[in-house]
Amino acid sequence: MDGFVSLRDVKKVYQMGEVEIMAAAGIDFEIKKGEFAVVVGPSGAGKTTVLNILGGMDTATSGRVMVDGHNIARYSQKQLTAYRRDDIGFVFQFYNLIPNLTALENVELALQICKDPMDAKEVMEEVGLGERLDNFPAQLSGGEQQRVSIARALAKNPKLLLCDEPTGALDYNTGKAILKLLQDTCRKKGMTVILITHNSAIAPMADRVIKIKNGRVSSIAENSHPVSVETIEW
Amino acid sequence: MKREAKATRKDFYMEIKKSPGRFLSILFIVALGVAFFSGIRASEPDMRLSGDSYFDDSELMDIKALSTYGVTENDIEALEKVEGIARAEGACSGDFLYNKKDEQQVLHVMSLQQEMNHVSISEGRLPEKPGECMADNEAGFKIGDKIKLESGTEDALSDTLKTDTLEVVGLGSSPCYLSYGRGSAAVGDGSISAFLVVPEETFDMDVYTEVYLQVENAKGLLAFTDEYDELIETAAENIEDITEERAEARVQELKDEANEKLEEARAELEEGRTEAEAELIEAAAEIADAEQKLSDAKVQIADGRNQIAAAKAVLNTKQSELDAARTEYNEGLRKLSDGRAQYEQGKADFEAGRPGAEAEIKAGEQGIQVFREQLDSGWAGYQQLMQGIAAWEAGKPEIETNPDGTETPEYMEWKKKLQELQGQAQGTKEALDAQEAEYSQSAAALESAKSQLSAAEAQLTQTKASLDAAEAELAGVPAQLDSGQAQINSGWMELKSKEAELNDGEAEILSNEEKLEDARQEYEDGKAEAEAEIADAEKEISEAEEEINDIKKPKWYVYDRSTLIEYSGFGENAERLGAIGRVFPVLFFLVAALISLTSMTRMVEEQRTSIGTMKALGYGKPAIAGKYMGYAFLATVGGSVLGVLIGEKILPYIIVYAYGILYRHLPKILVPYQWGYAVMASGAAVLCTMLATWAACYKELGAQPAVLMRPPAPKKGRRVFLERVGILWRHLSFTWKSTIRNLMRYKKRFFMTIFGIGGCMALMLVGFGLKDSCYEIAELQYAEIQFYDGSVYLEEDITEEQKEKLDEALEAEEQVVRFMDADMQSVTLVNGKKERAAYECVFGSVDEIPEFVDFHDRKSKEQYMLSDEGVIVSEKTAKLLNAEEGDTVEIKDEDRGNKQVRIERICENYMGHYIYFTPSYYEKVYGEKPEYNSIFFSTGESCTSRQMEKMGQNILKHDGALSVSYTHDIEKQLDDMLRSLNLVIVVLIISAGMLAFVVLYNLNTVNIAERKRELATLKVLGFYDGEVAEYVYRENILLTFLGAGVGVVLGKFLHLFIIETVEVDSAMFGRNINLPSFIYSMLLTVVFSLLINGVMYFKLKRIDMVESLKSIE
Repeated sequence: MDGFVSLRDVKKVYQMGEVEIMAAAGIDFEIKKGEFAVVVGPSGAGKTTVLNILGGMDTATSGRVMVDGHNIARYSQKQLTAYRRDDIGFVFQFYNLIPNLTALENVELALQICKDPMDAKEVMEEVGLGERLDNFPAQLSGGEQQRVSIARALAKNPKLLLCDEPTGALDYNTGKAILKLLQDTCRKKGMTVILITHNSAIAPMADRVIKIKNGRVSSIAENSHPVSVETIEW
Repeated sequence: MKREAKATRKDFYMEIKKSPGRFLSILFIVALGVAFFSGIRASEPDMRLSGDSYFDDSELMDIKALSTYGVTENDIEALEKVEGIARAEGACSGDFLYNKKDEQQVLHVMSLQQEMNHVSISEGRLPEKPGECMADNEAGFKIGDKIKLESGTEDALSDTLKTDTLEVVGLGSSPCYLSYGRGSAAVGDGSISAFLVVPEETFDMDVYTEVYLQVENAKGLLAFTDEYDELIETAAENIEDITEERAEARVQELKDEANEKLEEARAELEEGRTEAEAELIEAAAEIADAEQKLSDAKVQIADGRNQIAAAKAVLNTKQSELDAARTEYNEGLRKLSDGRAQYEQGKADFEAGRPGAEAEIKAGEQGIQVFREQLDSGWAGYQQLMQGIAAWEAGKPEIETNPDGTETPEYMEWKKKLQELQGQAQGTKEALDAQEAEYSQSAAALESAKSQLSAAEAQLTQTKASLDAAEAELAGVPAQLDSGQAQINSGWMELKSKEAELNDGEAEILSNEEKLEDARQEYEDGKAEAEAEIADAEKEISEAEEEINDIKKPKWYVYDRSTLIEYSGFGENAERLGAIGRVFPVLFFLVAALISLTSMTRMVEEQRTSIGTMKALGYGKPAIAGKYMGYAFLATVGGSVLGVLIGEKILPYIIVYAYGILYRHLPKILVPYQWGYAVMASGAAVLCTMLATWAACYKELGAQPAVLMRPPAPKKGRRVFLERVGILWRHLSFTWKSTIRNLMRYKKRFFMTIFGIGGCMALMLVGFGLKDSCYEIAELQYAEIQFYDGSVYLEEDITEEQKEKLDEALEAEEQVVRFMDADMQSVTLVNGKKERAAYECVFGSVDEIPEFVDFHDRKSKEQYMLSDEGVIVSEKTAKLLNAEEGDTVEIKDEDRGNKQVRIERICENYMGHYIYFTPSYYEKVYGEKPEYNSIFFSTGESCTSRQMEKMGQNILKHDGALSVSYTHDIEKQLDDMLRSLNLVIVVLIISAGMLAFVVLYNLNTVNIAERKRELATLKVLGFYDGEVAEYVYRENILLTFLGAGVGVVLGKFLHLFIIETVEVDSAMFGRNINLPSFIYSMLLTVVFSLLINGVMYFKLKRIDMVESLKSIE
């Protein structure tokens, strides 16, 4: 099966002094285009490593990482940067907004380097921040900041939207709202979304659930009937 | 407690181990700051020390004193006794000309001192005897060179030196000449090219030309310091106190000496006079003697003549006697001939009577014939015999006697034979007679007849014999007469020769008389001459007496070391270095302090959580703060020690070494640790960092532990002022907007960076600007203000005539375009309590002033004219006097009271201090006309310095011209002086760049560290490395330009401040910085900035996205 995203025996070894830490010990999984995939696992299981490799922020020690037919594992740093720039949208746990730029400007920051950007204001409206365009991050709540972060990722019109614990720093309701936004984006725009969480409770909302334990994929479950976020309680 | 202490201590050391970069960066920046502060400040004393050690080692004199009549041994003894004087040594020196190829040089020849001013030999050996010299090793002489000196004045060289040719036996340097300058002279072209050191005996002088003195305890003091100067000044004053006395003593000495000489001359004159008299007397005696002799000779001649006359009389008597004898002889001859005639008569009578008698006889005979027959045979034989006798008698030689009366031998033979024959006949006759007796009887009658006849015949024979005897007697007389005559003749002859002798004698007497006359004349002449000479000598003596009375007191001059060429320059350079040291390092230090402040603040901020944890654990504030304070303390102290150790050795060494190019003979560079500066710098560094750390800690320590353990609230984004200017803001690109906001957000960084870059730019600008200002002054002074090319200084006692000749000579010089008289005097200006030495300059011709000097304001460039209402004063002079236009200042005159002058204008001027007068204003002020003592001259544009020097030589040949100075010499001197400053400036520029580098590096590192997350986000968003760098660079570039702008302003002020600090009193430096300097400093700043950004690029590239974004610490 040729997935949109496909990882084959991806290994990542960190050299920490004299100790080698196997962050990923041979990960294999595939994700189809337009899927909402959730990667779950306990802390230190290697979820973030996988996401970083997928996002072109880190390189695999070995294995194959195919994204839309390209093996990014063989990319040079420069190619990786271009890949991040054109194909990837990243949403962080701590938003990582540029504090010195307004919400709109943060989005524009991403857009100015992008080949086929969307209109910043439109995206902001889509994420529900049409009113707060000119606010600085410090003037926004966590959820709002995460929305700006999502808007910044989406506005680039990426092939892949990668979210690393996007709700980790948010309260329950805000977190839910953010997950809703992500799910809606996936559904409405056919965006392939990969979300990392340690909260397995949200697994039902995904098309595909990949469980990772000790650097290996422990199970991959395809969910033929994903539910809406609103219906999930945790 | 112990455990706690151990744990904290461990934490402390771990902290250092963990972040060696930060620790070292603080350590190094402090080291740099301290090194510069203490190092450059130490350069001033170190330079003095290096100089002082050279001076002390070479026993350099402290004071030089000289008198216009030279210095005597007595003077030296007196000076040695002056209070405060350690020792004194006389010295000789003189300036001479030397023709080197085509060029004439002036050489300063000085005596080799035993006690002071020791020269150092770089090659060869010291001169040991007259004719040898050690030559200046800067002048290109070689060992073995022969230098033929010429006198530059009218006095012969031999008046001063024993020999005119010196052989170079060594090359070396003298502490009297620190640098290239060799000073000026009153001969040749006026500027000395080199010095020669010769043994003192080379000088042929009675007195020393100068005396060198060393002051007690001066060696212990550092040259160029106030203590030293004061000590020397006191000693110099003490010397001046006795100079009057010495001058009088010298006059007395000179008078005594002259009087002695005069006395000698008098004695000589007296001697001469007596001698002349004696000689004259002798001559007179000789003449008299000669006269006596002549008269004696005359008497002798007269005698001779008398004798001759007597002799003549004798001869005449003798002649007459002879004549009488001759007559007598003639009488005898006549009597003889009479006798002979009588004889002949008797003979004839006899002969006539004989035949008759004989016929009678015959008759008788016939009778007796028979008898006869018998007898006949007898008688025949007898007859025959008789016939033989007769024949014999007939053969009688004709000459019977010689002229002397004797009988000739023939005659005697004949006579003898005759007598023999006659004897034979007689015998025969006797035999016959016997027969004859008979016969006789027979022939008695016959016989009687016959006897009768025989008697007659006998009588005849007898007569004949007496006649012959008389004849014989007479025959001897003529010979006698002849010899008598001959004697008389020879007598006459002798007489004649005597007479000739007498005549000769007379001629000799005549010539002697002439000679005597000559001698007499000579004697008269000699007498007159001697009298004239004596009169002359007497006149001379009286003149000399007058001269002696006219001897003026010599003038004494007492100089300190500043009379040595470049000595003051050395001190001024040290002073200037000190001034720079007071300004530059402070800036360095300030920047270093700021850097350590940011580093420590950053550290404390980074350790927020750790501080919170400690606090939560219950540690007290001092314990927590102690770690950071200790950290900073250790870094600072470490840095200080390093800085002092290295900085105080290396920097002064480099700087003094740099000056060494100018002062080549400094044998060693002394750079001892100046602990004062070390403590000052270290103390300030420790204080600054400790304060900064404490301030940083204080803020954090005040907060609650919980707050501390949460990440600090991110700095809020804020709209900047610029955004409110909508038009401008809207036109800015997005990235620029972000850049500007970023700049505004990190205000500390913003100001620090601007200060850092601005400071760096300012320092470099000051460095370049200093160069501009210093280099400019020579150009400004001699191209825009005083544009005459030189001046001729006149002798004090120049006569009108000499001056006119000099003017003509100047007029005739091709190169001289114009010239003007001027009066240059050193005066002291007084304004209130401020005093300032300045040159009083009075121009000969007011109309021509603009062709020599341009008076104008420095800022407005407004031209001023010198008027009769006041003076124009140079800017710096006015400033130092604290006087302004319109003020009245005084010219110090201790003898006649201070003169008041009104300052009408203040003009731009850089070198020296001047106060300019018109002649009429001068007259107004002084009440007398100015005495022009110099001539300013300008040459044509194309005139080379060689031509000018040649011209100067020509001018100096004229009487009345003392020396010539050229502005290009001063310019050169100035350039030399400033070249050393140049090196210091280079050191400063490099240091400024280094500092800027450290500052920018540090700030950028902190900036990147602070914004790691932001930059990582950008990277994640897909910014290329270049774009990320650009994001940061944009800010840096903007900051660089902002900083540079600030630097320009800061630099300008700093430059002004430093110029005013660095400036020596004798000159005003330019206040300008030239455009190229701005460009250079700007370019250098940009280059430094780019360099830093280049380094930063790699730092940015190394930012790890994953790590940076992991979580918030």
